[in-house]
Amino acid sequence: MKQTEILVVGGGPAGLCAASAAAELGADVLILERDSKPGGQLVKQTHKFFGSKKQYAGDRGIQIGDFLLEQVESNPKVEVWPDATCLGIYEDGVVTAEKDDKHIKIKPERIIIATGAAEKALMFPNNDLPGIYGAGAVQTLMNVAGVVPGKRVLMVGAGNIGLIVSYQLLQAGVEVAAVIEAAPHIGGYLVHASKIRRAGVPILTSHTVKEAYGNDTLEGAIICRLDEKWQPIPGTEQDIKADVMCLAVGLSPLTELCWQAGCKMKYIAELSGHVPVRNEYLETTRPGLYVAGDVSGVEEASSAMVEGRLAGISAALSLGYGKDKAPQLQAEALAELKELRSGPTGEKIMNGIMKLLGKEGAAC
Amino acid sequence: MQKTANTVIIGGGMIGCAMAYELALRGMKDIVVVEKEYLCSGATGRCGAGVRQQWGTETNAILARDSVKRFEQMNEELEYDKDIEFKQGGYLLCAYTEAEWTQFHKNVELQKRLGIPVELVTPEGAREIVPHLNIDGLYGATFCGTDGHANPFHVVDAYAKAARRLGVVFETYTEVTGIKVENGKVKGVETTRGDIATPLVINAANYAAGLICKMVGFDLPLYPQRHQALVTEPVEPMQGPMVISFSRRLYCQQTPHGSFIMGVGDPHEPKDFNINSSWEFLEDVSRQVISVLPILKNIRLVRQWSGLYDMSPDANPILDQVPEVEGMWVLAGFSGHGFMVGPQTAVLVAQKITGEECFMPIERFSLDRFRRGELLLEPSVV
Repeated sequence: MKQTEILVVGGGPAGLCAASAAAELGADVLILERDSKPGGQLVKQTHKFFGSKKQYAGDRGIQIGDFLLEQVESNPKVEVWPDATCLGIYEDGVVTAEKDDKHIKIKPERIIIATGAAEKALMFPNNDLPGIYGAGAVQTLMNVAGVVPGKRVLMVGAGNIGLIVSYQLLQAGVEVAAVIEAAPHIGGYLVHASKIRRAGVPILTSHTVKEAYGNDTLEGAIICRLDEKWQPIPGTEQDIKADVMCLAVGLSPLTELCWQAGCKMKYIAELSGHVPVRNEYLETTRPGLYVAGDVSGVEEASSAMVEGRLAGISAALSLGYGKDKAPQLQAEALAELKELRSGPTGEKIMNGIMKLLGKEGAAC
Repeated sequence: MQKTANTVIIGGGMIGCAMAYELALRGMKDIVVVEKEYLCSGATGRCGAGVRQQWGTETNAILARDSVKRFEQMNEELEYDKDIEFKQGGYLLCAYTEAEWTQFHKNVELQKRLGIPVELVTPEGAREIVPHLNIDGLYGATFCGTDGHANPFHVVDAYAKAARRLGVVFETYTEVTGIKVENGKVKGVETTRGDIATPLVINAANYAAGLICKMVGFDLPLYPQRHQALVTEPVEPMQGPMVISFSRRLYCQQTPHGSFIMGVGDPHEPKDFNINSSWEFLEDVSRQVISVLPILKNIRLVRQWSGLYDMSPDANPILDQVPEVEGMWVLAGFSGHGFMVGPQTAVLVAQKITGEECFMPIERFSLDRFRRGELLLEPSVV
């Protein structure tokens, strides 16, 4: 049985920051990462980040990922296990993982779950045809594996992921037939939308996929307009030829481990689904089990990094590390989170978090 | 929720739903089934789904034998719109100890007398039936080709739909909090969603049957015992029968869609209501199944879960009225094989309640047997 003080499940931005923060205060940390290279979604994000310098604004996602990984690898207090998939959290506190084809048992004193989120699917006839991908999956295919998904793409969803991946497809020489969005307005940043519009790609709001078609693989899709009640308007169907469709219709928190651990869960639409109930310092209703990043509510990598740091500090402090400086570090992280959540998107997140903390209607 | 009923059945699993159907079929009106969660959410939906006739006591063997005939016709009889997925690939019971082999000879004699088509087979014969069986150390096996397994979710769904067509009302997410008794007679059931006045209560709450009986001051000789199971990824069909080894505490079947379902009994399992899963189980079942079916060593697991057996002192069911509480029936103590004997158990009790002639003496399942010390000790339980 492997012993560790703090086990971090997931080596994305939240997990890596949690590990660094806890180790800097003196705790021993083990990170489990399912992929062969830690970094989470950062490993494929070739675009530059916005926001404040504290969260690496101006740097590209891949650079941030490399930097966070170097930071944990250079700290002797942190052990990183790549290619290690966490399998379960049991009532006796044992966490199991698969590593090198073996069933590994780990007994941590604290656990930080930073498993991130998964792409949502969309219901329409023939949505299982080969050629229909999650947009994030296509980004991995192109930017990590160096493979283009096809010749002509229909992008579904005009949030940041849909817009950014559309632009990267254009950069890779793939034609983007259109970006369609069910909502009446574009969800992502205008700067991303403008770039792809300048390249001649139409962005059709209030549109959805009626059905996909194709013999063995995707050949095209029938799209249609939606009325203000999100109902299809008959007679507005258009046939879009495409051999690839990317679904960028949001993410769901990957909370299986939280459910298995017996954490109290709550459905919060603003946070994209069922999320564990937790306190301000990200500790769930199972004592000693913390969450950070998209698993606690889908947001951006920037807030995931700060949440990771907050969970790492809090877990280390609960073990008696950094009693002198941890409270100050916690306050700083909370202030950064507040700042990150100050825009219109942030307001929605804050409403969700207030519901989760049972403080609906409170001023934030 | 309705305020009165002729009968309130507690528990929406195999026994409760089959009971509702059999009573309604015999003309009883105004039957309500109350279920704490959703139908099939308890032991039935968590069971290993096997249906075997190869039992070591006549009581279990008759109930199972006659239930197999019902499973064979169930889609038609219950006019089910789907398929209960009854696959009669047989059961191969493997004897890896001399004691088991001796017991199996006795069991086969009993089963043959009851007309169950079972045979003793040599280790080589066993390997012809299951080519990937490890026969090292195998004394022999018994095989019954009409045994099999069915999908418990579909079976319960089939019974519930048929019962609904006959007017039975199902109240889910309704927990029983008390039983009203006056002058030694049942008067009603109290639930989290209101009270129902009724002269007849059928306690089919499996592992919670003891808690229900306590509400009328009766101590049922039952205890709950966790049993864990797992399911693998689907692979090509390769195993017809359910394979069982009592000495290795194992059962293992391949479902019609290709997944293997298996479990092991843990002799050190505490007597409590815990249904969490454990990592020790995964390692235990892996070791046991690889010793019997080595080919499965590289198959991937998809999911593990656990459920509760309602263990009676002799691993035979209790089908009786609670003493001194008229109108309070209990159907419990199935000890892990309630699903497979459910169809005929419900028939037997419905016959008794409606005054029909019983197809076998129901007294054999009485509570009195424990007081008299006349236990029906079942030797063949995983």
